[in-house]
Amino acid sequence: MSGERPPLEGFAAALAGLPAMGPSRIAALLDTWPADDAWARVVEGRAMRHERVESTCGPRPARIASEWRRAARATDVAEHWSRYAAHGVGVRVLGHHGYPVALADDNDPPRVLFHRGDLDALHGTRASIVGTRRCTRYGHDISFEFGRDLARAGVRVVSGLALGIDGAAHRGALEATDDGGAPPIGVVGSGLDVIYPKAHARLWDEVARAGVLLSEAPLGAAPEPWRFPARNRIIAALGSVVVVVESHPRGGSRHTVDEAAARGRRVLAVPGSVRSAASAFTNELLAEGCHPARDSTDVLVALGLSTAVAGAAVAGGADGAGRADRRRAPDAMGSSVLDALGWDAASLEELAARTAQPPARLSVVLNHLERDGWVEVRGGWWERITEVAG
Amino acid sequence: MLATIPSATLLGVEGHPVAVEVHVSNGLPGFTIVGLPDAACRESRDRVRAALLSSGLAWPMRRVTVNLAPSGMRKGGAGLDLPIAVGLLVAIGELSAEAVAGCAFLGELGLDGSLRRVPGVVPLVDALRTRSVAVPLECSAEAGLVGRHAVRGASALRELVDCLKGDAPWPPAPEAGPAPRDAASPDLADVRGQPVGRTAIEVCAAGGHHCLLSGPPGAGKTMLARRLPGLLPTLTRDEALAATRVHSAAGVPLPGGWLVTRPPFRAPHHGASAVSLIGGGTAAMRPGEISLAHSGVLFLDEMGEFPRHVLDALRQPLEEGVVRVSRARASVIFPARFLLVGATNPCPCGAGGPRNSCRCSEAARSRYARRLSGPLLDRFDLRVLVSRPEVGELMGGTGGEPSSVVAERVASARARARSRGVACNAALPAGRLDDVAPLTTAASRLLEHKLRAGQLGARGLHRVRRVARTLADLAEAGHTVGEEHVCLALDLRAEPLVGEMVA
Repeated sequence: MSGERPPLEGFAAALAGLPAMGPSRIAALLDTWPADDAWARVVEGRAMRHERVESTCGPRPARIASEWRRAARATDVAEHWSRYAAHGVGVRVLGHHGYPVALADDNDPPRVLFHRGDLDALHGTRASIVGTRRCTRYGHDISFEFGRDLARAGVRVVSGLALGIDGAAHRGALEATDDGGAPPIGVVGSGLDVIYPKAHARLWDEVARAGVLLSEAPLGAAPEPWRFPARNRIIAALGSVVVVVESHPRGGSRHTVDEAAARGRRVLAVPGSVRSAASAFTNELLAEGCHPARDSTDVLVALGLSTAVAGAAVAGGADGAGRADRRRAPDAMGSSVLDALGWDAASLEELAARTAQPPARLSVVLNHLERDGWVEVRGGWWERITEVAG
Repeated sequence: MLATIPSATLLGVEGHPVAVEVHVSNGLPGFTIVGLPDAACRESRDRVRAALLSSGLAWPMRRVTVNLAPSGMRKGGAGLDLPIAVGLLVAIGELSAEAVAGCAFLGELGLDGSLRRVPGVVPLVDALRTRSVAVPLECSAEAGLVGRHAVRGASALRELVDCLKGDAPWPPAPEAGPAPRDAASPDLADVRGQPVGRTAIEVCAAGGHHCLLSGPPGAGKTMLARRLPGLLPTLTRDEALAATRVHSAAGVPLPGGWLVTRPPFRAPHHGASAVSLIGGGTAAMRPGEISLAHSGVLFLDEMGEFPRHVLDALRQPLEEGVVRVSRARASVIFPARFLLVGATNPCPCGAGGPRNSCRCSEAARSRYARRLSGPLLDRFDLRVLVSRPEVGELMGGTGGEPSSVVAERVASARARARSRGVACNAALPAGRLDDVAPLTTAASRLLEHKLRAGQLGARGLHRVRRVARTLADLAEAGHTVGEEHVCLALDLRAEPLVGEMVA
């Protein structure tokens, strides 16, 4: 080893960076020994002699031990540690100075936590917004509105920065931070230098700048499928409530909800159309007695921050905030097409059948509605949108 | 001792004249064929010998050399059997040179001396410069299509020899089957509901716009596509001859043994290889499916299941209307001006789309989406979502307009396009759009809005304007293109949502 002896966090980060190292193995190592001690044992190949460590290593612990040993011998901890500084990624070790209180009391906290941005963003009320990557326009808009309105109300929005619901919630929260909203918290499954999905590169940067990005994975860790359930547990642990906006029956949100339930967190679900597959899981949650999240007020009530009656938005018109709609009012024909469209996506063919209008006529009406911001078309599917969609 | 018989061989869809020279001399008995024959051609040695013997004709116990001139060009197929046999008979004095003067021969021989049909009779006969041509009886109607030769048909070698000697009259040519009826293509009246799908097919036929139909299984994509040839006008004499030559060269049976007069409809399965679509598979450079669809419709069902490289091979012919196939032994040009109609599901399970009952994994969806490359998708002027018709429309409801009514509109729209100097509106050059498809103020404002919003690019703009021109032609709306046509043109060119997600 060259130069100055790296701090404890440096050894923890080096341990996390070993091959075949997951949350339970690093927990076993760091619960047994201090990080520098554990590292020394790994280098000498003695780590596996401890029962707790061996029990996490499946049927062939010897093989893992030799893999660790080989990788550890090739690693210069000080040099490895300098990479974290270069990437602006901070490292926190459970039980040591600076580890966030929000996670310290959890029943399965990440032993090593990597972060980009300001960890102070975690101080305050937090709500997690989760959902499917394959969301509908409705789910996207609701998620955006929840993110924005909760952030405006001073609630820190925790989400996973994935495509779909997660990304929309963070975009909403970021819009609010411009005028003094609460900072967003992103929890990702890959290393903080491995942006996934690529399309969200900018969103990552913006969240890190306005709030904080967290990960349990070391630098360079690929977004392997097994890392996501582990990430979901952190999202569930951070939020005082968990809001499921849209999810398929077999989606990852089910796992987040289970983790939230195990921690006694309150779960809210956004009601959706019973015909929409993307709302199948949220409707199932509601059927099981879960509280509905009709708008951000419902979430604020669940957080104990408000006593207002939710649902005022529905009475107040299409605009979630109950403000006057600034869009040009559609003419009679436009209104009837909007009614035929409803809040589900429909193709031109379906609309033609519903309105009994020739396609050419219908097309003009739809394009006028689109120009005035009432509808949107994607891949031939027409969808009604709210004024404020992000 | 020497005889020269004119014949022809096939390369691609073109016939090339071949002089079959037969030389019989003293020496060790033997039979050699020179002049670059392929395997099938070299085997004619054995067929000719057996056919002569079983027809009761003489086989010389002398040295026989056959040269196929020009000797530098490869000859393929069994069509040279008959000229070799006839040349041999002339060379040994069994037939007089006068009996075969001015006559070319084409045909394959059976071991029993019967004459069999060969592929490509139309282009082969077309390549011949003689007064008359003798062919197997079953393809004499096909040979007659060229119209420049006296066609003689015979069903066996013995019969042919007797006729050539003048011992027997030429058998009458068989009646060509009835000309194919227009009703061969199913009628558009069978399609219930689906106003948008019907419009798309009509515009596709009228403007020559390539069309991609996307929708869940059972939405009627195939049903619509199969009705497209019925809307297209009957081929002109030149188009019909060109199509017939391709069909003949590929060995595809002609309708009733007659000219291909209706636009062909080809629907290769998605297991098709690139060579089978593009052409050039055999030594004779067989034309592929896209050439068989020349001046007709190429329908690719389940387009997302075709291998990507196969689909991308379509891009150059789509652009140029011909396909150049080059192989080590030859390079040929096939005609390939076809209307491409694709059908695809939105994702492998078929239920994709924003309503999200799709069960496919993210990886499966993006893999599916990558099959259709951007440049290929860009070639489609029409990209239409087809939905399952609603129950009311299926059970009750009236059938739509029959094909005959739509075909009339299509024909008059095509006539307008021809008056602009192009075959169809899809071929309008971008520079002439302002002249031939001026926009109303409302229409150009709408397009400007779309361009500003980034929903339309420069190339997309031209395509939309061409489609709008066709829509206006179909509605007989006059010289300017109105807002309603531009709107519909935009909606008929939905950006593809294959495997894409809302994010």
